[in-house]
Amino acid sequence: MAHASARRDPARARERTLLALAAPALIVLAVLFVWPLIRLLSMSVEGGTLAQFEKAALDELYVAVLWDSLEIALIVTVICLVLAYPVAMWIVQAGRLGFILGMFFLLLPFWTSVLVRTYAWMVLLGRNGIINRMLRDWGWIEFPLPLLHNLLGVLIGIVHVMLPYMVIPIYAALLRIDPDLKRAAEGLGAPAWRTFLRVTLPLSLPGVFAGSALVFVITLGFFITPALLGGGRVVMIATLIEQQVREFLDWNFAAALATVLLVVTLAIYALLGRLTGGQGHAAR
Amino acid sequence: MDLTLRGVVRRFGAVTALAGVDLNVAEGELLTILGPSGSGKTTLLKIVAGFEFPDEGSVRLGATDVTMSPPRSRDVGMVFQNYALFPHLTVAQNVSFPLEMRHVPKAERQRRVAEALALVELAEYGERLPRQLSGGQQQRVALARAIVFNPRLLLLDEPFGALDRKLREVMQLEVRRLQRRLKLTTLFITHDQEEALILSDRIAVMNAGRIEQIGLPGDVYARPTTRFVADFVGESNLLEGTLLDAGAAEVPRFGRVALAADGAQPGTRATLLVRPEALRVGADAAGLANRATGRIVETVFLGLSVKLRMALEGGLELLARLPLRPSEPLPVAEGEEVPIGFSPEDVHVIAHGAR
Amino acid sequence: MSIRMTRRAALGAGLAAATLPMPAIGQGNAPKPDRIVVNASGGAMANLFRRTYNAEFEKRHGIRVVDTSPVDFGKLRAMVESGNVEWTVTELGGQDFVRAKQMNLLEPLDLSILDLSRYPEAVRDTHVFPSSVYSTVMAYRTDVFPNGSHPKSWAEFWDVRRFPGPRSLRNHPVDNLEFALLADGVAKDKIYPIDMDRAFAKLDQIRQHVTVWWTTGAQPAQLLVDREVVLASGWNGRFFDVANKGAPVSIEWSGGSAKQNAFGIPRGCKHPYWANQFLQVMTTPQLQAVYATELAYPGLHPDTVNYVEEKVRPHLPTTPANLEKQFWLGVDWWTENGQKAQEAWNRWMLRRG
Repeated sequence: MAHASARRDPARARERTLLALAAPALIVLAVLFVWPLIRLLSMSVEGGTLAQFEKAALDELYVAVLWDSLEIALIVTVICLVLAYPVAMWIVQAGRLGFILGMFFLLLPFWTSVLVRTYAWMVLLGRNGIINRMLRDWGWIEFPLPLLHNLLGVLIGIVHVMLPYMVIPIYAALLRIDPDLKRAAEGLGAPAWRTFLRVTLPLSLPGVFAGSALVFVITLGFFITPALLGGGRVVMIATLIEQQVREFLDWNFAAALATVLLVVTLAIYALLGRLTGGQGHAAR
Repeated sequence: MDLTLRGVVRRFGAVTALAGVDLNVAEGELLTILGPSGSGKTTLLKIVAGFEFPDEGSVRLGATDVTMSPPRSRDVGMVFQNYALFPHLTVAQNVSFPLEMRHVPKAERQRRVAEALALVELAEYGERLPRQLSGGQQQRVALARAIVFNPRLLLLDEPFGALDRKLREVMQLEVRRLQRRLKLTTLFITHDQEEALILSDRIAVMNAGRIEQIGLPGDVYARPTTRFVADFVGESNLLEGTLLDAGAAEVPRFGRVALAADGAQPGTRATLLVRPEALRVGADAAGLANRATGRIVETVFLGLSVKLRMALEGGLELLARLPLRPSEPLPVAEGEEVPIGFSPEDVHVIAHGAR
Repeated sequence: MSIRMTRRAALGAGLAAATLPMPAIGQGNAPKPDRIVVNASGGAMANLFRRTYNAEFEKRHGIRVVDTSPVDFGKLRAMVESGNVEWTVTELGGQDFVRAKQMNLLEPLDLSILDLSRYPEAVRDTHVFPSSVYSTVMAYRTDVFPNGSHPKSWAEFWDVRRFPGPRSLRNHPVDNLEFALLADGVAKDKIYPIDMDRAFAKLDQIRQHVTVWWTTGAQPAQLLVDREVVLASGWNGRFFDVANKGAPVSIEWSGGSAKQNAFGIPRGCKHPYWANQFLQVMTTPQLQAVYATELAYPGLHPDTVNYVEEKVRPHLPTTPANLEKQFWLGVDWWTENGQKAQEAWNRWMLRRG
């Protein structure tokens, strides 16, 4: 008994120390995140009515834009997933040099602003952009392909920005998989593709879900890229929220829209959380 | 099915991991590769399993040359050091995995999985996930998975390292029993010489990419052919000296040592091996051909026996191990001066030049 | 080369102004802070701002000017409402100045410090300082429409058969509703109040041919330079800039939507005296001329044009020949109807097809 309590105390002390160390970050979060969130919620129901939500929920404009935004976020997530998975696998398998090279090229875009990258895409994808000029010079096309100022351009731009957010969690998940598991599968008679489907893929799912959640949710908040690369035709919910805040100072309605977006986002998180629940410890 | 390695060489850049290994594991035999880390035993294992390929030499399983075959076509069951159970699959799914890969029909698969789990006494655990099992149970699952498809060869890669001592002994005996019963040709990799002595039909001692000695456990222990083997297998007193004629050797700082046999060229340098349990201390030392006086520097109580570290007058240190009975007190105390001795029959000569 | 000369000449004029002896009006009345904060548009404009007004203010009063950006109406409101007013003077974007005044976000101007006596009566205000004039105009590729063969009215801009090619308009109802009505035959002085249904019906006709609905001011000029489009609406200064750099882009002033840029003093400003002094510096015609010469955004001091080089004058929205082709944006209508129009616009943009 005496032993047990003696052993427990240092653990508690350690817990306390860790809490103390984490406290500044927690306080910052509380002040900079939780408090504004409460303000946001209270603003959305100012005057004690749900009128703002009624407008957000019943007006087909906002419903349609929210729906479009979810659709774009989903497409971006799927494209990112398909592109990121092989990259993550390559980085894991290529070892040290692969890691350095992969991370360099993945993180390089982070050192330039989203705006600059977006303009770079405009230069590349335009009617007289580099890609269309090249294709025309090679005689592959007669008229320029519509790569920009439409949904395609928006998708390309967002996927470019979001790709690292997908690669890194998948990479981390793949890295956590004991390489002996792959050897074990091969040794037990599995060809490479079956090893992938039965072992690697299921064990990397936590990373896949984490990356997907990240990409999906961040994409929902995009507004510069769709405005510039979509030629004005692709409207996302964040654009409308920004419009309400900056142009019309209708902060109550903006708060209601933001709250709806937040709730939808949390619901998606919860859903993904349940899907991942069984996989949480799988990648040991 | 027997396993044969001929002249296997593997280099990693400038480092030679395997410098020409010849080995034959007979059908149904359990052969242990014993060596310190870095001796090349892991590379050897990977080459047998197919995770690495040799630069030179060949690997045969029975009549089949598998030198360059991928792992999946070798039919080798392997138990990994950390078991490598698929964490997202149940115990039954783990054991079923090699059968699925071999397209065994479902009904037969279920029957064989049940059999294999019964064999390792885990019949009730099929629906659990690996992380819900203890270390010993996980190892049994790994074993069941490795044997369920009747492999041509069983590979055990330091499988007992993660278990506590008691469980380790139980598992060692269980693996031995199973291996005998199924007559599985088995290659067992370990750095633990004690484990090797307990389990093996034969032991191959590896050092620096070569097999130094291969033989029965008793032979390897009692009659090591190299100084490395003498030192690595069991505890030992190694005396460096020069052979004289007429069954004797001269050991600096000790003097003349009487030997039971001769035959080696006089003047040859040799290492003399005297196992600690062969040393006699106190009254028992009287009348032995080789005698000296030593001061007890340290006593280590081991339960069944006591280990003594003794300093001789010339500065040499010797280890002795004396049997104990629970009722008797320790026969000697630290700091005491005692006579010690050993008989010529207990001196094993490793003549240099025999490498 | 000629541009460079022009700029240097104008700059010289500005510097000359800086050395003019200024009347020392009541400097003792307010304690001198070590700095004031002027919030205005960023980018190239901020650079010019720093070289002209900021530099002149620092020289005259020995108070450092810190420039911040961007112009943000929401931030202004938040500042005033929280009582933590960081800006001494701020630019007011678009038509926001009317709202700013209505919402009581501005200090009244102190006309004993700020001398607006020579400014046109129409632009004088109790709270809002009219800093310059700009215009949303039609611009075109001169190589696609050479020798005056370009559209000369919004009706012609709408005529895709006679003037084929992709177009760009702003992704915003302001100006576009007016352009649509002009294209539909409404007279310049009959635009307001805007008949939104009629405007959107007219916009329906051009919708297919607008490949880009632009968002940022830099976009339309760049779209023309890149040949993404052959016709675009946009702010005159941006087209002026790329044309100066040699791009085959030119402006058609007909149907241009002129409006004033405005500055104000946030209510609760810490140094209202120095804020007025700063605005007073901004009235200096020689400095306004530098601004006009480089950006084609002339100030409203009547003498400014005298300091602008002859060559640049045809490119200014305030040049009489240009001004009479344009209309003045109906700020009051937009203050009243902006949000409604924006929602209608969003809805219209979202319609498929």
